[in-house]
Amino acid sequence: MHKFTVLIVEDEKSISDFTSRTLVSHGYRVSCASTGKEALSLASSLCPDIILLDLGLPDLDGMEIIQTIRTWSGTPIIVVSARTLEDDKVQALDAGADDYLTKPFGVSELLARIRTSLRHSNKLNNGNGLPQHPYRARGLEIDFSKRTITVEGQAIHLTPIEYKIVAFLAQNSGKVMTYSAVMNNVWGPFAESDNKILRVNMANIRRKLERNPAQPVYIFTEVGVGYRMADDEDMP
Amino acid sequence: MNKNINKQLLHDLPVTISLLFLTTGLSFFLFFFISKNPANIILFFIIGIITVARYTTGYFYGIIASSLSIIIINFFFTYPYFKLDFSFQDYPFTFICMMALSSVTSAATTHLKQQTEILAFHEKQLLEAEKEKMRANLLRAVSHDFRTPLTSILGSISSIESEELVLDSPECQELIHNIHDDASWLLSMVENLLSITRIQTGDSKLNTCPEIVDEVVAESVTRLQKRFPDTAIHVTVPSEILMVPMDAMLIEQVLLNLLENAITHSGSSKPVELIVENQPKDICFRVIDYGIGLQENQLGHLFDGTYSDGSSSDNRKGMGIGLSICQTIITAHHGTITAQNHPEGAEFLFTLPKEEVYA
Repeated sequence: MHKFTVLIVEDEKSISDFTSRTLVSHGYRVSCASTGKEALSLASSLCPDIILLDLGLPDLDGMEIIQTIRTWSGTPIIVVSARTLEDDKVQALDAGADDYLTKPFGVSELLARIRTSLRHSNKLNNGNGLPQHPYRARGLEIDFSKRTITVEGQAIHLTPIEYKIVAFLAQNSGKVMTYSAVMNNVWGPFAESDNKILRVNMANIRRKLERNPAQPVYIFTEVGVGYRMADDEDMP
Repeated sequence: MNKNINKQLLHDLPVTISLLFLTTGLSFFLFFFISKNPANIILFFIIGIITVARYTTGYFYGIIASSLSIIIINFFFTYPYFKLDFSFQDYPFTFICMMALSSVTSAATTHLKQQTEILAFHEKQLLEAEKEKMRANLLRAVSHDFRTPLTSILGSISSIESEELVLDSPECQELIHNIHDDASWLLSMVENLLSITRIQTGDSKLNTCPEIVDEVVAESVTRLQKRFPDTAIHVTVPSEILMVPMDAMLIEQVLLNLLENAITHSGSSKPVELIVENQPKDICFRVIDYGIGLQENQLGHLFDGTYSDGSSSDNRKGMGIGLSICQTIITAHHGTITAQNHPEGAEFLFTLPKEEVYA
C-alpha cells in the first residue's frame, strides 16, 4: 500500500518527536524540518502529501511559508499553532492553509484532521465531472443534485441562501471554513465585510437542522474563525 | 510646548474678553436704566475680575482684566460719561486694589490646580498599587496551585522510571492516568491565565463584538464534552436569536469554568443544567448542578480567589482561581455574577448587558 508522506515543520523537538512517532505508528511516512528554509527545500524536493506547519518558526514567518508553497503547490497544509489568537488562524486559512490545530492537540484530533485534508486533496485531484454523491452524517442527508436536505428522513425546508451555506459547508465537510470563505462563496466576492448576516443565517439554519441549537451535532462553530461541518460518513 | 501655549492663549483670551463684555453689558444696563450707584458697578467689575482670574492660567490675564476694567469704568460710568478722565486723585488706589484682588485670586487658582494634580497623581498611584497587589496575589495563588499537580506528575514519572514498571501493568496505567489528569488540569489553568492577559493587555478595554449567544454556548459545551465525555449537560436557550456584545473567548472561558466546577465539585453524577434566559435588559446564564451545594459560610468569599473546598485538604481541587477569573471577566463586561444554593445543589448565575453600555 502506498504510504502518505507527512512533512512536519516544527522547531520544538519534543513536539515533533511525539507527532512523528504517532504518525509513523499509524502508517504514515514522516520527515521533519525544524526551520522555515529547511521546510521550503524539503517541500519542493520531497513533494509530501501533507504538511503540518508550526506558525512560530525561528527564521521565517509561517504566513510567508504558506504563501511561498501556495505559489507552486496545492499540497494540503495544516497549521499547528500555540497561539490562541483567532486572527492568526484566520490569516493562515485565508492565505491558503487547509485547516488548523491549536496546541495542545490530541492524537485522535491530529489523525482526523490529516485524514480529512488528504481526502479533500484526493477529491480535488481526481475532480471529474461526475455528479457528487449525497452527503450523509448522523441522520442528515444532503442530495446535491435534487437540492434536498433531510434529517432522519424528514425533509427540511431552507431558504436558497441557507441551502447554499449548508451545501458549501457539506462539500468541505470536516474542514474549518472561515467566515470570509463562506461569505465569498455564497454572496459573491463583493459581499459586505460584516459577517453578521452569515451568522444570523447560521442561527436560523441551526434552528431548523439541529435538535438543540446550543448542542449542535452537524455544524460546529469555531469562535472567531468560522464553521466546521461534521465529517461525511460515506466518504472513501 | 509651543502648541500648548497657543492652546492656552486660545482659551484664556476669549474667556477674558467675553467675561469683560458681559460685565460691562450688565453694568451698563444697571447704571443707565435702574440706578446710577457707582458702588454697585465696582462690585460687578470685581466679580468679573475674580472670575477671569479663576478661569485663566497665571497672573497675566487677571492684571489685564483689572486695568481694562479701570478704563471701562472711567469711560462709561464716571462723570464725564463716555470720556476718559483720570483727573481724580484716588484712581491709582482703585487700580492697585483691583490688581491685588486679581493677583490673590490667580494665586489661589494656581494653588488649587496644583493640588488637584497632586491628588490625581496620588489616586493613580493607589490604583497602580492595587493592580500590582492583585497581580501578586494571583501569581502567588497560581504558583501554589501549580506546584501540587507538577509534584504529582514528577513523582509518578520517577516511580515509573525507578520501579521499572511494565507499561501494561495496572499500577503503571493508574500512574499514567494520574499524569494525564494533572496535565489537563494544568492546561485548563493556563488557558484561564491566558484569558486574563487578554483583559490586562492594552488599556484593559475589552475587544467586544456582537456574538450569537447559541454559538458561544455551543462551542463551550462542545469543548467541555471533549474533556468530560461521560457527563450529560442539559442546555436550554431561548428560541429567538440573541446577539450580545462580548469577547467570545472570555465568555467561553467563564462558561467552561462554571460548567467544569459544576461537574467536578458537585459530587454527583446528575446532569448539569445550563439555562440561558432573555431578560429585558440583559441576558442571564444559569449553571445549575444537583449535588452537595456550596458551603454557606464561604458564599461571601467565593469570587475573591481564596475559596477552597473545605472538605478536602487537597487545595488544587479548590476552585479559587477559576471563579475569581470569572468575576474579572464578567465585571469587565459590565455584567454581574452571583452564586447561591438551591434545595438540591448549587447555582451560579451571570448576566451580560444587551446594549453596548461601555464605549
